[in-house]
Amino acid sequence: MVILFRIDDRLIHAQVVVGWGRRLKPDRIILADDQISSEGWEKELYASAAGPDFKAAILSLSGAVEQIRGGVFDSEKVFLLARGPAEALEMLEMGLEAKEINVGGLHYREGREKITENVWVDGTERGLLREIAKRGIILEARALPGDRKITINSKVV
Amino acid sequence: MTDKEITGIVVTHGQLGEELLRTVRLIVGEVRGCYALSGSDLGDEKVVESIHEILKAHKAGAAVVFVDYFGGSCGASCVRATRHLEGVKVISGVNLPMLLDFVTKQGTMGLDEIVDHLIHRGQESVRVVEI
Repeated sequence: MVILFRIDDRLIHAQVVVGWGRRLKPDRIILADDQISSEGWEKELYASAAGPDFKAAILSLSGAVEQIRGGVFDSEKVFLLARGPAEALEMLEMGLEAKEINVGGLHYREGREKITENVWVDGTERGLLREIAKRGIILEARALPGDRKITINSKVV
Repeated sequence: MTDKEITGIVVTHGQLGEELLRTVRLIVGEVRGCYALSGSDLGDEKVVESIHEILKAHKAGAAVVFVDYFGGSCGASCVRATRHLEGVKVISGVNLPMLLDFVTKQGTMGLDEIVDHLIHRGQESVRVVEI
């Protein structure tokens, strides 16, 4: 069962493993990413970032959706991570179900505009988040579980 | 703050302790009962006094004093401040993984157990990274 679906361009990192992980105590962190799941050493790098506290699965977007929908992780509490709105939307279009997405980290880079301290988007990304919002999914922007929950749906229309 | 919580004091040269705690907050959010002292900004006596003040403010409950380098003035001040005190341990060679475990595993272990755990965590985090 996915207990946290998070968009974070830093993927598996300390805020996720320690900040969220030690609070919500998942059994597994799934990183859904076509690029990383196809690179041996990067796969190993991110898998080792989750350990030793949590099991990791580094899967392609379609692989993640298939396994989640297929019930492979039904008995586990799972964090699902995607690097950006495009990847998250792609999984939703493949049939992944979600009520809420934590937009945890889209960091500053040139061409991106600020939505919150930790969420910056360009025009394309804003449009993709809008598409996600149109599905009735709550987009909430917190870097960490103890932060104030800010819903950003109204900021991406 | 409950009685079970263990106070943390990070005593370092320069602003290392303050920055370590700032980084801990960046990763896990607000933490309570943790303090940084700079041994190079304060005189040795003032470091000892500050440690005592913090412990007093926490009603002399259990505490861990983390020091960056044993063999320097900070380490000496930590020993001077705590050697006669029950329930206060000094750990040298503080690092980030150790502090992260200290703030996130509070309440799950008693003082001796958490000190053993932190030493192990700190040591195992120093390794050759091979991917």
